[in-house]
Amino acid sequence: MSFNRFAAKRTGHGVLVLFSVVAVLFSIRFIYPGDPAILIAAPDASQEVIQSIREDMGLNEPIYVQFFDYMAGLLRGDLGTSYVTGTSVSNQIVGRLPATIELGVAATVISIALSIPFGVISATNRNNRIDSVVTISSLVGVSTPNFWLGIILVLVFPVALGILPTGGREFGLYEAFSILFTTGDVSAIITWVQHIILPAVTLGTYYTALLTRLTRNGMLEELGQLYIRASRAKGISETLILYKHALRNSLAPLLTILGLQIGRLVGGAVVIEEVFYWPGVGRLFINAIRNLDWPMVQGTLLLTALAIVGANILVDISYAVLNPEVEYQ
Amino acid sequence: MISNRLKQNLRSEWNQNHLAKIGAGLVAMFFLFVVFAPILSPHDPTAQNLSDALVPPFQTMEYPLGTDQLGRDMLSRLIYGARISVLVGILSIAAATAIGTTVGMLAGYNSGRLDDVMMRITDVFITIPSLMVAVTIFGLIGPLQVEIPDPFVATGIGGSSMPESFILPGGIIFALSVTSWTTFARVARSEALSVSEENYVRASKSIGSSSPHILLRHVIPNSFSSVLVLATLRIGFAILLESSLAFLGFSGAEFSWGRDIATGRDYLASAWWVASMPGFCIVFLVLALNFLGDWLRDAVDPNLNEGAN
Repeated sequence: MSFNRFAAKRTGHGVLVLFSVVAVLFSIRFIYPGDPAILIAAPDASQEVIQSIREDMGLNEPIYVQFFDYMAGLLRGDLGTSYVTGTSVSNQIVGRLPATIELGVAATVISIALSIPFGVISATNRNNRIDSVVTISSLVGVSTPNFWLGIILVLVFPVALGILPTGGREFGLYEAFSILFTTGDVSAIITWVQHIILPAVTLGTYYTALLTRLTRNGMLEELGQLYIRASRAKGISETLILYKHALRNSLAPLLTILGLQIGRLVGGAVVIEEVFYWPGVGRLFINAIRNLDWPMVQGTLLLTALAIVGANILVDISYAVLNPEVEYQ
Repeated sequence: MISNRLKQNLRSEWNQNHLAKIGAGLVAMFFLFVVFAPILSPHDPTAQNLSDALVPPFQTMEYPLGTDQLGRDMLSRLIYGARISVLVGILSIAAATAIGTTVGMLAGYNSGRLDDVMMRITDVFITIPSLMVAVTIFGLIGPLQVEIPDPFVATGIGGSSMPESFILPGGIIFALSVTSWTTFARVARSEALSVSEENYVRASKSIGSSSPHILLRHVIPNSFSSVLVLATLRIGFAILLESSLAFLGFSGAEFSWGRDIATGRDYLASAWWVASMPGFCIVFLVLALNFLGDWLRDAVDPNLNEGAN
């Protein structure tokens, strides 16, 4: 199978999965608690008013008509109207999206930057004390509830040491850079870093622990290969062997795990945003559940599914590009 | 179901693996808490005593781990909290295992339309994070509290001042089992697929064995160990999810480590112990389960995929 066909097939499968998600979410609305017309209407609204709202929302149409209306809306990027605020779900999500993306990217960058050196150190010190410390720490890392870790970090840094803010997000990276470019003031960037550091470290801990374990095991596997012995026999320096050969060859599987675990990252972000009052999509989702605001719940779930499906397609395709020997199936 | 070879592997791995022994010890301790909570707790975990509010830990013999903002004994609350974490973890994963392996085996063994439908459903579950699935289901069905009388207090063995019953959060258990069953379904499906390719199963079919016979006699025993490993690791994950949900305010349980962390958060500046102690319990319990899970995995199949959990 050619690369293009592989990419097309993979994307087609992604679209199919998204369609199943849409179908499931559409059917859940009918069993979700709360009548949307009553939720939207004023508390003392009469039966007639509620009826006319039902009429306006198309709730009296046959289900297949409602489904096609809904699908048509989705294709235009319209996720419906929030029952609570009465405003567009898409607009609210788009407004919150940069915060969540910044948090997710920062967490991923931090965990990759930490886990690769940890994993390499652990593998090169196999079975001695350093290796045990790294191995046990990474087990502790995957066993720690992230929200609690966040609270402990708040307890240590802002509360006890009086450094770093307890939460919130003054402005986004984009605003921080515009301030830097218009006024030449670096303090905006510093404020941005101060606010994102604790939530990003908290969110990245699980990833760091997982990737450290995988880097260690991948390195150990590579270091046992014959070509490494051959390189040593040829007199190639140990640093070059470690980083140029062994590490490089153990990175490809890491990419797959990063892709597979992106769901865990997004799920973690939902909780971390609550801990640090981070105004992202996760808090939008949690508040929507609390308020029985189904269009918002549905919108945030769909967007998450879209992000995860997209990320996995990208990972599969870049895996195929990085590794020409991979068989397309 | 447990072959002699597996028994031997378990034993030799056990002798080498000190972490598994620590894990077993910790799990045993938490099980004691679960069963004997009313006997082991020094105080009624719900009894408020405002004059003794926010007593720091390690200061008085009466409250060894201190008290919370309402003067309730931390140690007693931690012991009772173990009940919810452990029971929610075990019950939700037991349900997920039963449903998941049944559906997965049937799908893998028959590999027809059922298989297609199941794979589409599991695709949906992989696409949305477990936490968001669980929260959505909880929002859908609500807390579904189930009140369970405490056997020790009812029979008068435990202290009479202890709560007569405790509340099991049915909604959470349901939400977590719905979240987890697809993982078991996928593992059981691939096991069933590979077993039904084996020659002895083909031979069994050719002499006219019925499908139920093959499933019970060959497929289930062969998948047993990998399902067991997965279940051990998933119980820890379910406990983490339960605590996250309780922290977010989706619980229904009276005692929950996650919920106590959420309330303790308002007292961080004055009372560090209220929010931090329940978290240590979660870490120890989940870590212990991971130690045991790793030991089982190494004994069952050293090459099993790390990313399985």
